[in-house]
Amino acid sequence: MARQRRLAEPYKIKMVEPIKMTTRTERETELQKAGFNTFLLESPKVYIDLLTDSGTSAMSDNQWAGMMLGDEAYAGSVNWRHLWDAVEDIYGFKYMCPTHQGRGAEHLISQILIKPGDFIPGNMYFTTTREHQERAGGAFVDIVIDQAHDAQKDHPFKGNVDLGKLEVLIKKVGPDKIPYVSVAVTVNMAGGQPVSMANLRAVRELCNRYQRSDGRPIRILFDATRCAENAYFIQQREEGYRDKPVRAILREMMSYGDGCTMSGKKDNLVNIGGFAATNEKDVYDKLTQLVVVFEGMPTYGGLAGRDMEAMARGIYEMVDDDYLAFRIGQVRYLGEQLVSAGVPIVRPVGGHAVFLDARAFLDHVPQAEYPAQALAAALYLDSGVRGMERGNVSAGRDKEGQERFPKLELVRLTIPRRVYTNSHMDVVADSVIHLHGERKNIGGLKMVYEPPQLRFFTARFAPLERVGLWEFVEG
Amino acid sequence: MDSPKAGEPGWWPEAEPFRIKVVETIRRVTRPEREKLIEEVGFNVFGLRSEAVYIDLLTDSGTSAMSDAQWAGLMVGDEAYAGSRSFYRLQEAVAGVMGFPLVIPTHQGRAAENVLFTTLVRPGDVVPNNMHFDTTRAHVEHRGATALDLVTEDAYDPVADLPFKGNIDLDKLEKTLARRQKPTAGTAPAAGADLSIPFVLITVTCNSGGGQPVSMANLRAASEICRRHEVPLYLDAARFAENAFFIKLREPGYGNRAVREIAREMFSYVDGCTMSGKKDGLVNIGGFIALRDPEVYQRATVWAVLFEGFPTYGGLAGRDMEAMSRGLEEVVDEDYLAYRVGHVAYLGRSLKEAGVPIIEPVGGHAVYLDALRFLPNLPREQYPAQALTVELYVEGGVRGVEIGTVLAGRDPATGENRFPRLEMVRLAIPRRVYTRQHLDVVAGACRRVLERRGQLRGLAFTHEPPVLRHFTARFERL
Repeated sequence: MARQRRLAEPYKIKMVEPIKMTTRTERETELQKAGFNTFLLESPKVYIDLLTDSGTSAMSDNQWAGMMLGDEAYAGSVNWRHLWDAVEDIYGFKYMCPTHQGRGAEHLISQILIKPGDFIPGNMYFTTTREHQERAGGAFVDIVIDQAHDAQKDHPFKGNVDLGKLEVLIKKVGPDKIPYVSVAVTVNMAGGQPVSMANLRAVRELCNRYQRSDGRPIRILFDATRCAENAYFIQQREEGYRDKPVRAILREMMSYGDGCTMSGKKDNLVNIGGFAATNEKDVYDKLTQLVVVFEGMPTYGGLAGRDMEAMARGIYEMVDDDYLAFRIGQVRYLGEQLVSAGVPIVRPVGGHAVFLDARAFLDHVPQAEYPAQALAAALYLDSGVRGMERGNVSAGRDKEGQERFPKLELVRLTIPRRVYTNSHMDVVADSVIHLHGERKNIGGLKMVYEPPQLRFFTARFAPLERVGLWEFVEG
Repeated sequence: MDSPKAGEPGWWPEAEPFRIKVVETIRRVTRPEREKLIEEVGFNVFGLRSEAVYIDLLTDSGTSAMSDAQWAGLMVGDEAYAGSRSFYRLQEAVAGVMGFPLVIPTHQGRAAENVLFTTLVRPGDVVPNNMHFDTTRAHVEHRGATALDLVTEDAYDPVADLPFKGNIDLDKLEKTLARRQKPTAGTAPAAGADLSIPFVLITVTCNSGGGQPVSMANLRAASEICRRHEVPLYLDAARFAENAFFIKLREPGYGNRAVREIAREMFSYVDGCTMSGKKDGLVNIGGFIALRDPEVYQRATVWAVLFEGFPTYGGLAGRDMEAMSRGLEEVVDEDYLAYRVGHVAYLGRSLKEAGVPIIEPVGGHAVYLDALRFLPNLPREQYPAQALTVELYVEGGVRGVEIGTVLAGRDPATGENRFPRLEMVRLAIPRRVYTRQHLDVVAGACRRVLERRGQLRGLAFTHEPPVLRHFTARFERL
């Protein structure tokens, strides 16, 4: 592979937040206090925080300036108008309703569109999305291509919809039982994998062939959370898009859908905010009625005026080609260092995170001993880097109370936007590579406290044996 | 005017206990422009863009001016998804000011209601409250439960000058709880016991009743009744500090107590609270649930994750938790509260002296015009409070809000207008935002509308949405 030219950040630093390196002894104490669960670590004890890319971005000076222009009027805030215009301009949707974050928008859309007995096909589930669909009485149906479930399969658009699976479902249940097809761009649970333009176009054509009884084609809604990152992958990987600006690519992507839910905390480069957008007047009218109950007036949706302004400005910044080249390049930079050192990761590297393949990394630890949880704990112990378990613990138990043992047993190293430098990435890479060399010293864990629901957030663990890396643990 | 003494209506300290550090320009558009703008939005002030409004008294929620210390807090917000230090700051502030050990942040007050009610309320339940605020009622009813208002009868009398018109009727509360299906341990169910009551709520101050306070004696007695019946008691604490200050001013034995202590005593009688930080948290966004019971906390966190966010941020930016924790400390400052309550009372007094009919006594966060006495000749079918709201905008560029028939909506069964007992225009005063001169402008506008009230025309719907019609309805002048 030809050496890639180095890219420097297309921004300089205007404000900083000090972070503190802890000692090994301190981390031993903190890890035990947190029950070997990185979710339970206190943020000041974390050196490099790769738990999530959600709401952790550094805003620009332009966005902070927007924060000072917040119009906190309950009705008719000027910032709402700016946000509306930005969504119309960049996404191309006619109507927009702000919400406090992405799951607020998912909740409203699920309540409005899904009836009991409906099916919602989607390119892989996401935890909160599926929960909202099920609560509204719908059933999620996975229609992502098979390659998405295989960590080691290389594919440029691993998030693609399997058109065959979608058509089988439509024929089986009929268009009226499908309130919408949910297309995530990019697909988070598959590792931030993109969907190709050709695939989006084909999904649209397929949905157009099947009309619902109200005469409209089957609706397509995007989970547009990381849509700009997806657009950048199309520019880089898909025939015919190399010379198109990301902004135009994103508009084309969105033109194949009827609306979207958006977590502004990812690609819109804000710490809080989201929205639902639609081209359908009747859907928008229902949104404005329901948003009042759960979020706030339709002209603020549970956000301060200043946060709508920051999001409106972030929407323009996210489609900057230079920004995206650096953003995706930084994630790849970390991934490639790990690959060169022989560390098993999910391939290809996605848009917002590098996923360590914990099953291959700790092939001596059975899945029942939570290898991904153990690896995340080991990483914190080694260098103060916080990642997130995405494996057996996150998957939880099925209705019979059995653990689900998902195919993917991963540690997610999520890169916040514009926050860390490549030197920070080097620290992370050094630590992971070091642990890989010492992997036989990392033993499995047992769960000592298990909450009934969403256990990964608050579960507590302890090493099975006080050996190797876990020798420090007090009996 | 004679200078009233401390504690009397209309009293306030010499000047604001703060100086202005940052300003936001406002502009009064000309009267012909206002005439045109209000017609364009169908005579509904909700449709006005905020630039068209000179003095915006639509709400006191989320419209406060934050202090420099709070803005500084915004800059040190910790945006970590889990374990944010700003969360621990909030937890300390809630423990210090309210005395609750457990906190779940939410993006605002109605979200706290959504999470807590989803945890505790089942279809068929009955939730007693002194008076449900509209979103609270919506959340109770959304779950197939019944929202029961048990405020004292005095709350419905616009001119009864009583100190604690927000009190819950203890007799009615006792009788309601006695009808619980599940009786107190060791006793037999009473005859006719048919109610399932997950908890009792008390709203301080009582917003729907005009920002009227609840007395300490009433809270104490309600708490005793609830404990006897083994029913948890929660506060809707959105304006807890204003309520505490009224107790200091009006309740025997509290005149020399610190507001902070009074607030702590109020919270000592309850099991937890929902809080809209957008009122007495002095922030533009934010809220929380505060609790004592770890079991309720555990169950509520599951819903918090689904609707709001991870329990250490709850749908808020870290910086907003930081600002709210500082706001909670600032709001129990005695000088601030004396100014705040006095500021609102000042507008009430100016209006009264000009002969403008208002609801009395003046509450903590707003002055309410009594539209039925203001416009006695307009039939209620012509929405007098809505007409008055429109005229106030045309006259002075002032935006109030109708709290009357338009807000009350139609009876779902008959399709007829529900005429509430009071027909009001609320002038809610944002905290620390407007000066006394702004209030003089508001009073002047009200007085001039009063002088020409004989010429005011009623309104009729030209567009009426099926639910929550007040937000987007359009009208024409008759």
